[in-house]
Amino acid sequence: MIFQDMAAYRAASHMPRVAIIGGGVAGITIARKLDARGIPCVLFEAGGEDITEESQDFYKGRTVGDQYFDLDVTRLRYLGGSSNHWAGWCRVLDAYDFESRSYIPHSGWPIRRADIEPFLDETRAILGLREFKATHPLTDSFGRMDLIKSDAVRFGTQFRGELEASRNVAIVLNTTVLELAGDGRAVTGAKLFSAGAPAGDFTAPHFVVATGGLENSRLLLWSNAQSNGAVVPNAKALGRYWMEHPMYWAGNAFITNQEALEFDEEGECFMIPTPQAMADRGVANFHIQLETMPYHGTKQLIAEMACYAPRLTEWVASAIGAKLQCSARVHIDWEQPPVESNHIALSTTERDAAGVPRMELHWKKGDLDRKTLVEGMRMFGEEIALKDIGRLHISDWVLNGEDWPTDMELAGNHHMGGTRMGTDPSTSVVDADSKVHGMENLYVAGSSVFATAGQCTPTTTITALSLRLGDHLSRTVAS
Amino acid sequence: MPKTSRRRFLKALLFALPVLAIFKHVRPTRHDDIVEVDGWILKRSDLA
Repeated sequence: MIFQDMAAYRAASHMPRVAIIGGGVAGITIARKLDARGIPCVLFEAGGEDITEESQDFYKGRTVGDQYFDLDVTRLRYLGGSSNHWAGWCRVLDAYDFESRSYIPHSGWPIRRADIEPFLDETRAILGLREFKATHPLTDSFGRMDLIKSDAVRFGTQFRGELEASRNVAIVLNTTVLELAGDGRAVTGAKLFSAGAPAGDFTAPHFVVATGGLENSRLLLWSNAQSNGAVVPNAKALGRYWMEHPMYWAGNAFITNQEALEFDEEGECFMIPTPQAMADRGVANFHIQLETMPYHGTKQLIAEMACYAPRLTEWVASAIGAKLQCSARVHIDWEQPPVESNHIALSTTERDAAGVPRMELHWKKGDLDRKTLVEGMRMFGEEIALKDIGRLHISDWVLNGEDWPTDMELAGNHHMGGTRMGTDPSTSVVDADSKVHGMENLYVAGSSVFATAGQCTPTTTITALSLRLGDHLSRTVAS
Repeated sequence: MPKTSRRRFLKALLFALPVLAIFKHVRPTRHDDIVEVDGWILKRSDLA
């Protein structure tokens, strides 16, 4: 069932057992899971079925610290959420991403990869993926990563027909949950804003907050502010430990053994370090993306090198020139460590059209980010030289520790943390079941529960975690 | 002097110089036979 606003939904007299807030990857996946188990649920989607300026305006905010994307551009507020601009790159977090690492404070999850593996076949079916392949060893320290470039599933479009036909799931469009109310043990209701006007209160036995990796924190922070801390009783970590995947073009390489790297049809390949190699250097997880350069790019690289280092140009021309197969831009993309000071806060001066404080994202890369960038490039450069796969040049700005460039990609638009999963309420918000610490009926879904980011794109893991939460909820509701 | 001979002469001249002394930034790596020279990560044999 799909309703255009709250008034239409109320007229239907639907009695949901679960209220899901947010119609993106996590919310829709959980709704479908509950539907399959015959459990009635309502899903509140703040936007409609298409992007509008009015709806996106609610996402405006301010970033304090490093340069970041505009907050109303880095995510989408309509049915399907940010899957509507997702690139479709798929990979699940590796087993070691769930483990704690002594050299990265607050790293590790309270669950293991084995906990989401039972849901990976279903994840593949939802995202239309082939089997995941194991990492192929390239050297002692690096492997070639299996990254699936899928036809991105737009969740709103893909599952609209199924959800409309469902008798269990009610999608209520154009309806925002402004705040949750609670008594310190359970959520008691939600205040709604629908079709541009206040729409009263609503309650259900269970609530799932699935509004995205930025908005989950904002909603819970505002709910806590309005209820004197009765929605997230242990709020020390709420909004904190926020993470991204910073990414930069950090060098160039001449490749002499293209077969070893197996570039895909788009001329790209992806390499990841082994856990031991990361530990040896004390760096966060990362991947190297090689992107073959067009001929004029290669010529330019050689020309630039000739001006800068004629001796090396001589070397390239003579020592490997005969074997030179291609050149590549070298990008590095790493997991930002979970740092308490990277956090989401509520603006004290700006409010959205419904009167909720806008978001302030406090985000800055730190020493471990810089170390992972430099040492990650060195690790890969050394490995490909040792194995005669190629030779790498690290960009000057990287080696000189210059300011972060503002004319590159910056990051992956991956919003992780803020309501992280853990066992300690002082450093986490939800437990291993994604339930808010101390609350009986409040759950959080999506990448905001990521405790550690790993190096890969998050959507596949979000889907698997959402299936796991849907499974847990359906058993909880049934009991 | 033909072009190829001039190139060979230049190379010989360059390689006769103490290589590590003429680069600005030479950094040892964890591997004995790999060095980082002005941001290039090379085998020592590349420089010989």
